[in-house]
This record gives sequence, C-alpha cells and structure tokens, in this order.
Amino acid sequence: MARNSEGSRTVSLYIHIPFCRSRCSYCVFNTYVGLEHLITRYVAALCNEITLLGKYSQHPIVHTVYFGGGTPSVLSPPQVARILRSIADSFSLSDEAEISLEANPSGVDVLYFRALRQIGVNRLSLGAQSADVRTLQLFNRDHTWRDVVQAVRSARQAGFRDVSLDLIYGAPEQSLEAWARTLDETLLLAPDHLSLYSLGIEPGSAMNVWIGRGSLPAPDVDLAADMYEYASGRLVQAGFEQYEISNWSLPGYTCRHNIQYWRNLPYLGVGAGAYGFTGALRYSIVASPAEYIRRLQSVETAPEGLSPAVNQDSIEYVDRDQLRAETMMLGLRLLQEGVSRSRFADRFGGTVEAYYEREIETLKQAGLIHVMEDRIVLTAKARLIGNRVFMCFV
Amino acid sequence: MEEKNIRNFCIIAHIDHGKSTLADRLLQLTGTISDRDMQEQILDDMELERERGVTIKASAVRMMYDAEDGRQYEINLIDTPGHVDFSYEVSRALLACEGAVLVVDASQGIEAQTLANLYMALEHDLEIIPVVNKIDLPAARPEEVAQELEDLLGVPAEDVIPVSAKTGDNVKAVLEAVVRQVPPPGGDPDAPTRALIFDSHYDSYKGVIAYVRVVDGVLSQKDTLKLMATGAQVDPIEIGVFSPGMLTTGILRAGDVGYVATGLKTVHECRVGDTLTTVRNAAAEPLPGYQQVKPMVFAGLYPVDNDDYDALRDALEKLQLNDASLVFQPETSQALNFGFRVGFLGLFHMEIVQERLEREYDLDILATAPSVEYEVVLRSGETITIDSPAELPDESVIEEIREPWMKIQVFTPQDFIGPIMELVTKKRGVYETMEYLDASRVMLTYRIPLAELIVDFYDRLKSISRGYASLDYQFDGYEPGDLVKLEVLVNQQPVDALALIVHREQAYHKGQKLVSKLKRLIPRQLFAVPIQAAVGKRVISRANVKALRKDVLAKCYGGDVTRKRKLLEKQKKGKKRLKMIGNVEVPQEAFMAVLRLDED
Repeated sequence: MARNSEGSRTVSLYIHIPFCRSRCSYCVFNTYVGLEHLITRYVAALCNEITLLGKYSQHPIVHTVYFGGGTPSVLSPPQVARILRSIADSFSLSDEAEISLEANPSGVDVLYFRALRQIGVNRLSLGAQSADVRTLQLFNRDHTWRDVVQAVRSARQAGFRDVSLDLIYGAPEQSLEAWARTLDETLLLAPDHLSLYSLGIEPGSAMNVWIGRGSLPAPDVDLAADMYEYASGRLVQAGFEQYEISNWSLPGYTCRHNIQYWRNLPYLGVGAGAYGFTGALRYSIVASPAEYIRRLQSVETAPEGLSPAVNQDSIEYVDRDQLRAETMMLGLRLLQEGVSRSRFADRFGGTVEAYYEREIETLKQAGLIHVMEDRIVLTAKARLIGNRVFMCFV
Repeated sequence: MEEKNIRNFCIIAHIDHGKSTLADRLLQLTGTISDRDMQEQILDDMELERERGVTIKASAVRMMYDAEDGRQYEINLIDTPGHVDFSYEVSRALLACEGAVLVVDASQGIEAQTLANLYMALEHDLEIIPVVNKIDLPAARPEEVAQELEDLLGVPAEDVIPVSAKTGDNVKAVLEAVVRQVPPPGGDPDAPTRALIFDSHYDSYKGVIAYVRVVDGVLSQKDTLKLMATGAQVDPIEIGVFSPGMLTTGILRAGDVGYVATGLKTVHECRVGDTLTTVRNAAAEPLPGYQQVKPMVFAGLYPVDNDDYDALRDALEKLQLNDASLVFQPETSQALNFGFRVGFLGLFHMEIVQERLEREYDLDILATAPSVEYEVVLRSGETITIDSPAELPDESVIEEIREPWMKIQVFTPQDFIGPIMELVTKKRGVYETMEYLDASRVMLTYRIPLAELIVDFYDRLKSISRGYASLDYQFDGYEPGDLVKLEVLVNQQPVDALALIVHREQAYHKGQKLVSKLKRLIPRQLFAVPIQAAVGKRVISRANVKALRKDVLAKCYGGDVTRKRKLLEKQKKGKKRLKMIGNVEVPQEAFMAVLRLDED
C-alpha cells in the first residue's frame, strides 16, 4: 500500500453499482438493464469483497467512498447502509470521509435522501445532463429537467450540503444557445460542484450506431470547444473554480475522491467492472454481475490482496517509469494544483525536470504549461488540447 | 552428371497464369520435396511474395527426374519473376537456360507479358515448350488458346500441352517434353572454368550467395575463384545446389546450376552478370555480360525518424545485395532532412522495396511521389539530367525540358477500347496502332510519357477493363514537352518534397486537386495552416486547414487509467509517424497524394 504525502496509509474506495432502469444512448459503462433481481445478492457480494480486502490490507484508512454506476440510487438505504457498515468494520473509515453517491434525478425523493444522509452519505452527484428536452430525449434519459430541480430541492431538504450535477455538452444538434440555457438553469439550482463532460461517441453506444447509419449527425468538435469555453467563462462569473479539466466547484467543494485519481494515489475498486489501483498494480473486476456474485460466494481469502473477482487479464503491474508518467498525465489535469513539485520529489526522489527535461522545455516553449516554483500546471490554452501535453509523458 | 543428362529451363508466364503452382507440382512429381513438406509456392520464400502471389526474386532448384526413356536427368528449374517491372531479371535467368516452358492460362489466353517474355526467350534462342494451364477451370478454353499459340509460335496446336498445375493433371508431360525437347547444355567440361552469375542473395553468415550456371569447366570448393569483371578473388565457403534448400556438393560441373557462397560482404565485388573463373586456370574471355538495367522511376526515401538514417542506408545496402537493379544515393530535402534518392525499375518495384524496408527492417519510411528522369537544356547550352522536381532550375534559365516516352502495348477485349482510349488521351498518350488478335481481342499500341504511366495508369487500366486488359511497355526515347514545376507551399513554406513536374495544361487542375487532397490529409494543427499550389510566382490554388481546437480525453471511466494511458500512447504513436515540415505535422500519405489526383 502506497503512502501518500501525509505519511499515513489512506485509500479511496470506489463501489460500482451496475444496474440501470434504462440505458442512455451515449453510455458504454458496465451497466445492465433488467438485472434488478440480482441486487440483493450483489450487495451481499460487495460486502464480502470489502471485508476480504480490508482484512488483507490490514485495515487502511478510507478517506473517500464513491458509489458510482450504473445507477447507485437503485439501492435502498438499508443496502447502502450494509455496504458502509462493511467498510467501517473492515477498514478504518475516517470520520471526515467524503462519501459520495451518484443518483438519478427520477425515482428519488426527500425521504430517500434523508435516509442516505442519516447513514453517512454526505455528497450527492446527480446526473442532470441537460435542461434541453430534445437533448434529454436524444440521450434516452428517463427524467425531465423538472425532476432535476425537484431532486436538488429534495437533497437540500434532506440536509445535503455538497450537491454536484453532471452535465453533457457537445451533443449532435445541440446549439450553443441551448447549452447556455442549460448552464443558466443549472446555476439557478445553486449546485456546489459541477462536472461538465464533452460527449464522446464510443463504439458500443446506441448513438454510435445512429451516427454510423447516418440517422444522426456527428457532434461538431469545434462547437463543443465553443461550449467549453463559454462554460468556463460563465462558471467563473458564478464563483466557481475549475480545479480539473472537466470539474468545477465552489471554494471548499472539490471532490476529494476525484482528486485521489488525479494525484495518482491508490483507490480500491469493488463491484462488477470496477477499476482499482493499489499503488503497485492496476486491475479491474469481472464485468458480469452474475459472475461477480458467483466468484464471491463462500470465499474467505483474497490471495495477494486481490479480490477473488478480479479479472486476471486486467492486472497490470505499474513500474516506476510508468507510475511517473501517469503521475504527470493525471496530475496535469488538475488545473490549479497541477503536479506538485514537492509531492513529485518525495515520491520519485528527483525533480520533474530531472526526469522530463526535454518534454518540459518543449511544452514550456509551446506555451502549453506554466512551470512554477511549487508546481507545474497547464496553461489556459492547453486545457482543451490536454492530450497534446499528456502524451509527451506516456 | 554428364551434360547430356542435364536440362536447364525456366518457366515464363503472364502474372497469375500459374507459374509458381506449376513449379510446385514439378518439385513434388520429382520427389524434390515431399508432399508433407509442400507448402504453396515453395520457391517464393519471401513472406511478401507469398502474400502477393507474385514471384519477385529469381530462384533456382535442382530436380532429379527418372524419365520414361529409363534414364535419370538432372533438371534445373530457374524460376523467374512475373511482373513487367522485373523483365530484366527474367532476361538474366533466360541466359542460364536452354529451354523455356511458356505457360498460358486456359481461360485468359495470351496476355501482354506472355508475349514480352516469349520474345525475350526467343531472342536468347531458347527452345519453347508451350503449355496451357488451368484446364480444370469451368471457363477454360484450352483448344482456342492452343490455337492462339499455334498462330503465334507456329507450333501445331496439338503439341501444346494441356495441364492443370492445381490438380497435377498431365504435369508429367511437361517434364517429358523438357527432357526430349530442351537441348543439353553443351559447354566444354575441360575448358577453363566459366560460370555465369545470374542472381544473388545475401546471407549474413555466408556473405553474398551467387546463383551460377556453369558454362565451361568445373567450379570446385578447393579452387580460389576470381570474378572477372571486378577482379575480386574468393575462396568459396560453400558450393552446392538448391534442392530446394541449399545442399552442399563441393563441386559444380559444366551445365550445372547451383550456388557459390562467396563470403563477400558487398554486392559491388560480386555483380550479377559477372563471370566466375578459377585463379589457377583463368578463362581468357568472360561470358557475354548481362544488359545493364537502368532505373526508370525515382523517389526520395526518408526515415520518419531522422535517427534512422544510418539504419535506412544499411537496409538499402542489404536490399541491393539481393536486387542489383536498386540504385540509391544520399539526398537532402529541406522538408524531410536526410534521405536517399532511390531508382526503381517501376512502381511495383518501388512498392516492394518500400514494403520490405518496413517489414524486414522494421523502418518507418516516407516516400516522395515518384518521378522520372528529365533532360533539361539550359539557355547556356548545357544539358543536365534531373530525377527530382526539386532539382529543376528556375524557369528563366531553361531552354527546354525533355521527358522520357514509352511505347506501350495494351491487350484487351474490344469492349474496353473506348474507355482505354479515353484514359490514354487523358494521360497525354498518342495512339499508334490497333491489331486484332482474334475476333474479340485487340492489341493497342500507344506512345505515352513515362511520367504519366507511373502515376496510377496500371491500376486505372485494370479498373476500367474490369481486370481484363494487360500491359507491357518499352522505353522509346526523350521528347521535349511544355513542362512546369508545380510547387506546394505549406504554411507559406515551399515544400520541396511535394513539388511536381507537370504539363503546363494540367498544372491548374492538378494544383487544385493536390491542394484539396492535402487539406484532407494534413491533420488540424494547433494553428491554422494555409496550403497553396503555385507555378513560378503565381499561386493557382489555396485552402486552409483550420486550427485544432479540442483534443482532450473527457472522463476517466470510473478510474480506468490504463485505458486512458493506452489511448494516449496510441495517439503518440500515430503522431510519431508524422513528419515535421517547419512546424507543421504532415502525414506520410500527403507525399503520395499526387499519385491519386485523378480519383474523384
């Protein structure tokens, strides 16, 4: 287990809930419609997996927990509670831990959120996606903007102080004006955190098929760039800080779980299709929920600290060179914090320049990075073309 | 073996008429290779050859055959390439033979290279054994094709041997005909040694392996040998025959075909066409040398990564060991830095060399558009030759530019005469004659500038004739033309490697096409990139590649860093294949764009 800069053994925990009531047209995540009958056994398997991992890794401190999906809000509060109890029992769950849960705006109410709040969930991330009716329909979302408004209200009533919304821009036939309206509507809801994702057309998604068939135009990347720039300006105006390429927050509301990824620190992934990083190796868990449940039935050991449900083919040992490269590639996504010089030196025993002299010089010359005394960050113009920077290090 | 029991022959055929398959059957029939070890096209041992189904290198193999007359014969088969670009290799192989099996496809009939190869064989006084192959095909018309052969060769149609190399049907008759009709070698076994080098390949342990046909005397491993043209002396490492693998015999006698492992490290000392003799009892006169072949097509080859320059030179040198027709010299380009100007026999040859460099030597290379050799008469009265548009002097000092013209023969069913005529005219070709081969097939003769021929002519001919037309060509002299240099400017900088020499009337059209093609091929950069085509100082076409605005991976799928990293690695790898021109990244395809300007 890697030690982070605070010198203590702290990890993050990602819990994947691969169930949805309907599938969104852009989605290629590991999620399934119509497997709700497995949920009870799935939760039991999750608890078993968490217990095994905690036992083997000698109860490290968990400082963030993230329920992602799929749709984690298909879980009932008692199911969430069971999972959190296993974490508390097998790990050292920090009192200040950030516990996030992704929720769908439909099918949730103040009672549900209140129950979650009571069992310790302290951050909600709502999949709002768009205030535009046509875009929501195109995405095959099962909710309206009114549902989003209601969900945010319910979350506040239930006592959630940290509410995040996900939005997607750059959809086919989405205009800049429609995007501006979505942002306005969103800001009216006074969220604490926003994740803005540029629509990617992925092989395997319904949208990819439609575009391939010619029944839907491909997204306009230049327009998506305009939307991104517009959002950056608009959100700064509204008091948000852009702490990562796709993430904005009010001061003090950054997502610590996200930051764990970007700092290239360990996170354990549990649940079907989850990805994890122990600090020494990266892995994923088998994708099929049924297979996942089967693998975790009546198992009592986690050989080598890996889940019995790990996908053996996915295991990738990360050597020092790769760890360093990934630290650059991920760290530069953090627009304010960037790659911290002191953390980098502590971790790798040398300055960034000692390892990447030529790359740093070239990128500096090209005006793509700022090299500061305590950190290295992307310049404003590099934000939209980050790959050009990241690829220098891989 | 006594000379009277030796037969040396080759197989000549138009491409795809089944030469290699027939060779395979002969090897099986003579037990040279067991059925179990048989792999398709055994003589084509380059990966590339097998993939393309084309013989590139000549190859030789010795077979022992028990003929019906009760005697055993040593039969040496010299395999020859089937593509028109390699007709020089065919000519060398022919010199080592006394007979040729002429294979014609029973459904396709006589094609352009059937004729070209046949004429070459007749020039060398070879005994011709006509064979109609693929009689197993439903579309086969062996009697008609035999009649065509009778008309052509004057041999009675009934003497033409019908076979199916695929099924093996009647293949034995071919061997019998070789034994009966091909004369034995007829050299002098007691005269001073003379052996003809008709091909070679390079072996990293044994040096240059010379493929030889012993004409007089004996080649023995005990003798110090001398190459008569270069004067190099060699103590052979090994002497043997191809059976079909290399089999040491230590000795080769008059009439034999085999190899000498020379241990020589460079082809310069062991030239194809040279004569091997012994130092002890040297022959007075070498055998008549082969015709020196001149490259017709030139292109710049550059390493994508400048650090690979030495590796590219080494690889070209290695290829040259196996390919005497390949010539190259260092060239410097403003756009592409250091590389080589390489001369090829034709476009197919160029493709093969390019692929071999990439596959066998693992080099990323970039080829500029092929050019021909121009003669430029200057105002000063001096004449210079150039093989690269970049070398063309300023218009103001040029009196006249002359370009090479070819004579071409197109064999085609008459249905395609119209479209072929149109194609040739578009390519500045001039009609000469048309002859009917039979009621439905014609031979069209044209004259056409070589520069037009090397740019997608063959592919288009094949496509407009649905694959039926075949082509052969010969050099036909230099002629003045109204030619100009078409320059391409990328981001205001002229790019020497993209310049073209074109006919003045085509300059506007080609400039436009080239610019719009480049606009599609050059990826968006961090800034807008103007692309212009110009003749002299006048810009005739322009377009803009818009600046790249967005290139960043959005979400990290639930922490899938591996996927993210791999995507970046892939992107980086793709970028590495781009060439920096000034500060613009240009993909390799851009340099070949000019080859496909006529596509719509």
